[in-house]
Amino acid sequence: MLGEFRNGTPSAVTKNGVPNDLSDAELRERMSGNLCRCGAYVGIREAIHQAYGTMKP
Amino acid sequence: MNNFTYSSASDINSALKLFSESPGRNATRFLAGGTNLIDLMREGIEQPQSLVDITRLPLAEVQQLPDGGVRIGAMVRNSHLAAHALIREKYPLLSQAILIGASAQLRNMATTGGNLMQRTRCYYFYDGAAACNKRAPGSGCDALEGSNRIHAILGATRKCVATHPSDMCVALAALDASVNVTGPSGERRVPFTDFHRLPGDTPEIDTNLAHGELITSIDLPAASSGLASTYRKIRDRASYAFALVSVAAALRAEGGRTRDVRLALGGVAHKPWRASVAEEFLKDKAPTPDNFSRAAAAELAQAVPLRHNAFKVELAKRTIALALSALVTDAPTANGGGAQ
Repeated sequence: MLGEFRNGTPSAVTKNGVPNDLSDAELRERMSGNLCRCGAYVGIREAIHQAYGTMKP
Repeated sequence: MNNFTYSSASDINSALKLFSESPGRNATRFLAGGTNLIDLMREGIEQPQSLVDITRLPLAEVQQLPDGGVRIGAMVRNSHLAAHALIREKYPLLSQAILIGASAQLRNMATTGGNLMQRTRCYYFYDGAAACNKRAPGSGCDALEGSNRIHAILGATRKCVATHPSDMCVALAALDASVNVTGPSGERRVPFTDFHRLPGDTPEIDTNLAHGELITSIDLPAASSGLASTYRKIRDRASYAFALVSVAAALRAEGGRTRDVRLALGGVAHKPWRASVAEEFLKDKAPTPDNFSRAAAAELAQAVPLRHNAFKVELAKRTIALALSALVTDAPTANGGGAQ
C-alpha cells in the first residue's frame, strides 16, 4: 500500500491525480477493502504513518 | 463447486477456437480477472463447463489513436487504466470513476473488458433459493415485492428490476466510447450505450454481445477541449460500496450557453443510463442551477420507483444538479478539476 503511494498510484481521494501528501484521508481510502479496521482502526492508522516515516525511499 | 475444464489462450484466434471447441460450449465463459465470475461460480450462480483464460492475450495496452482518441485493450487492469497518464490527463472522468469503485486489490485484478461483463449485485440474483428471472428465466422476480432499496427506477420491467453495478461503465457511457468485439462471424464495433441492454422480457441477457464473442478493446473519441467533468457517487459507506446513485457529468459552456453536455447515471437501471432527455433540455440553455434542476426533473419524470427506492428519484435529481453546478463554478484547469 505504501509502495503504491510512493510510486504515484492515485486513489479516489487524490487531488489532481498525483499523490504527494499521505493524509489521513489517503490512508483511510487506501486501507478500505484492504485491512479489517474494526476496533483497532485508529491504532492501525497511526502505525502506518509511523512505518511510512521510517521507510527508506 | 462444479467441475469444469480450463484452457488458456495465447492469442485472439486461439481464444475463439478454444471457446468454440470447448466441451459444453453453450456453458463456456471467457475468464479474465475473475473478480466477479469466480465469486459467482463459488456461489453456484454461474456454472460454466469450460473456462477459456484470456489474461495472456496481447490486449493490455493503452494506445493513442491517430485521430486523437485512445484505445484501451480489454485486458488492461483497472488500476493501470486509472493511473495511466493519458487517461488521467485527457479523461479524468474515467480515472475518477474507476478509483471510486471496488478496492485496490480488486482493481489490480479486474480488467477493462471484464468490468463491462460484471453481473448485477441484486440480492435475489445471488440467492439460489429466490425467484430470479435473470438467474433462472421464468422463475419470477422476488425483488419486485421484496427488499428493493438498491434496485432500478428507470427502464425496468416486471421481469427484472436489477441494476448494473459498474462505475467505470457510467463514465464510458458519458464519454461516447465504443466497444470493439470479435467473434466467429468477424469483428464489429458497438457504441457503448448499445452494449448493455434493458431487461425487457429477457433479463437473463445482460449485453448485446453474442455468445462466443470477445471484447478486444474500448475506444474513446478525442477528448474535446474545454469540457469539464466530474463523477459523483452516492452510497451507504464512503468507500468500498456500490452506488445507490452515481452521475458522470461533463459540460462546456460558452457565452452563457451550454454548448456540450454529457450525463450518464449509475445505480438506477439495468444498464449505464445516458440521460439524453436532460442533455436535450440543456442544449443552448443558460448553465444555471435552476436549469440543471429542471433538466434533472425532466429526465427523472420517466422514473418508476418501487416500494423502497423512491428516494433514488430525488437523490438522482439532486446529484445531477450538484454535479453540473460544480462544473460551472470550478474553472477548468490543465490537470484535475475535471478538465478534459
